[in-house]
Amino acid sequence: MKKIGRFLSSMPFAIGLLVLLAAICAVSSTITQGLSYETYAAQYGERTAGLILALRLDDAFHSWWFIGLSAVLCLNLLCCNLIRLPSLLRRSRAFTDAQRWAASGGGEAEAHGGEPMKLFKALGMPKAKETETPEGQKALFSVRHRAGLWGAWVCHLGILLLILGFALGQMTGQQFTLYALPGQTKPLGDTGLQVTVNDFRAELREDGSAEQFTADLTVTEPAAGTTENGAVSVNAPATLYGYKFFQNSYGWGADVRITKDGEPLQTEALCAGDFLPVKDKPELVIYFQAFYPDYVMIEGSGPSTQSMLLRNPAYLYQVYYQKQLLGMNVLQGDEKLTIDEYAVTFENPRNYTLLAVKRDHFTWLVLIGGVITLLGLVLAFYLRPAAVFAVQEADGEWRVYAQSVKGGVLFRETFEKAAGETGFMMKKDGDPG
Amino acid sequence: MLQAENVLFTIVLIGYFAATILNFAFVILKKEKIAKAALILQTVILVLHTAVLVLRGIGAKRWPMTNQYEFAVSFAWALCLVSLIFIRKYKFPVLGAFATPLILLMIGYASMQSREVRELMPSLRSSWLAFHVSTAIIAYGAFGVACVLSLIFLLRGRMKEDGFWDQHIPRPEKLDMISYRSVSLGMLFLTLTILTGAIWAEQAWGSYWSWDPKETWSLVTWIIYAIYLHLRLRRGWKGKAAAWFAVIGFVCVIFTYIGVNTFLPGIHSYA
Repeated sequence: MKKIGRFLSSMPFAIGLLVLLAAICAVSSTITQGLSYETYAAQYGERTAGLILALRLDDAFHSWWFIGLSAVLCLNLLCCNLIRLPSLLRRSRAFTDAQRWAASGGGEAEAHGGEPMKLFKALGMPKAKETETPEGQKALFSVRHRAGLWGAWVCHLGILLLILGFALGQMTGQQFTLYALPGQTKPLGDTGLQVTVNDFRAELREDGSAEQFTADLTVTEPAAGTTENGAVSVNAPATLYGYKFFQNSYGWGADVRITKDGEPLQTEALCAGDFLPVKDKPELVIYFQAFYPDYVMIEGSGPSTQSMLLRNPAYLYQVYYQKQLLGMNVLQGDEKLTIDEYAVTFENPRNYTLLAVKRDHFTWLVLIGGVITLLGLVLAFYLRPAAVFAVQEADGEWRVYAQSVKGGVLFRETFEKAAGETGFMMKKDGDPG
Repeated sequence: MLQAENVLFTIVLIGYFAATILNFAFVILKKEKIAKAALILQTVILVLHTAVLVLRGIGAKRWPMTNQYEFAVSFAWALCLVSLIFIRKYKFPVLGAFATPLILLMIGYASMQSREVRELMPSLRSSWLAFHVSTAIIAYGAFGVACVLSLIFLLRGRMKEDGFWDQHIPRPEKLDMISYRSVSLGMLFLTLTILTGAIWAEQAWGSYWSWDPKETWSLVTWIIYAIYLHLRLRRGWKGKAAAWFAVIGFVCVIFTYIGVNTFLPGIHSYA
């Protein structure tokens, strides 16, 4: 068991895992996710399309093997932190133990001279503790940034919490997409809530580009007879009944009016992309395919819009009878579509809102994980633990030893500079101890 | 305002070209006076470069970091700033000789982009924009300098014994350490970029992580540098292998910035 734990927490295993994850993410990002076999086959050929689907590369980041790999990464981080904890605690305690430093009698940099406090101050460690060596020699000791020893450990903990929060959010969270024209009421999935879009405003600039979208919503819980109201804009979501509503996108819709032999039959508000079966002949279906606010027909590419301003509205429709396409065309302005005794007109074009609705109980855990990861990186990179120990020799001269955990050659240079400035002589390699 | 920015941008472009030539002259002629002149020139250009960004911000009435041109100008600015800090902190003028061509390439790339000031789409009208993009700029600048330092590390091993190089290029272990410091700075800021981006995405799109190609490649870059940091802790892998990962990491940075927008469109396609 210990062997397995050691292997799972080992550095080569972690590096291998990271290389694999980076490679998988890179490859998967080049394959458009969530397409059908036919689309992949058209793009890459049938053989590759089959391979993409067989390996679940069409939904790589939700595939069993990617989730498994993420779980192994979590296990690696957990084992690494658990196994390292006792030794890290010992190391952290030992780092401030003056007697241990006295017994070790050395460091990565060493100098001798007269006034140790000057050197301590030059190294940015002005508070030195007075102590004694086991031999009874007078000594001074100072440590700094011991917390830096915990950097990697804290960082691993943060990543672990982040992945855990993300996974729990994915497993327990709810997510819906809802689109509606102003005045329409639609159910919110299976939650029992009803969402009414009271108003939707698309604020456009002079050039027709969008400045802001705002939807006024009323959410009702019919079972309890309660309602909650809120306004949702881009970058300003609203929380209603514990669900977060986001203004995600928008589109166009219109009222579709059908008459039969000149008499009104039905009027429905339809969003582009919606189907409308005729009331007394449901096998006859009108499909509102697209809307062009500033219609223009471009030769070779088909109908299009010149801007998002409502200047020359046109409606692209299809008509189906018993699931067979009867025809399709564009209706401009007040033009009428006639099918036997039925006449269809599109009117009152307006924007609908597309809302993303979400409930995730673990977003806070992801955020905490992120902040802890950041804290770990600060500890690891910017708190470089260092210890300086000075012993007074029998001749009255002071010998100063210094050790830095992450400073390496740069710490040695800093020590040399500080020693030079304070009248200390550096011990060179080969000098007697 | 934008006309003044255009004039100043051209001066900055020419200035970086001159600084690159001066740095090359320093390496070829091995005269320290030239290195000092190059350093002064680079510092002056940085001031003018900052003015370009300020003028752009005033002209566009927003933070100048929302399209390819603005990001490239900011990226080059961060490269210049971080390289100057490292040159001065570690007294390492040769770094300028390797860093200025990279800055010149980036500012050259900016000059090929459209400078038209466009209004922001609603999702970009957020106070998170400044945090998210400015942290990315610092991260990319630091990774660029780390890449340059790693290239010097790798090249140093192939250089013949030469008193000039010994005097002006730090020992390999010090080079490795300086490169590590630069990666550390980049890693911290890249983590901040990803975090602020996630918080912003949660507000704008209702999802803090969507596996959008830009997000995915930011993660790939983060993982590559995480591998670099782990490799440095292993005996035998410290040095060359780690240096290669710092170079690969910067290739990922460039791909995340330019490649993703060109080849892998997603919800970040405006960036």
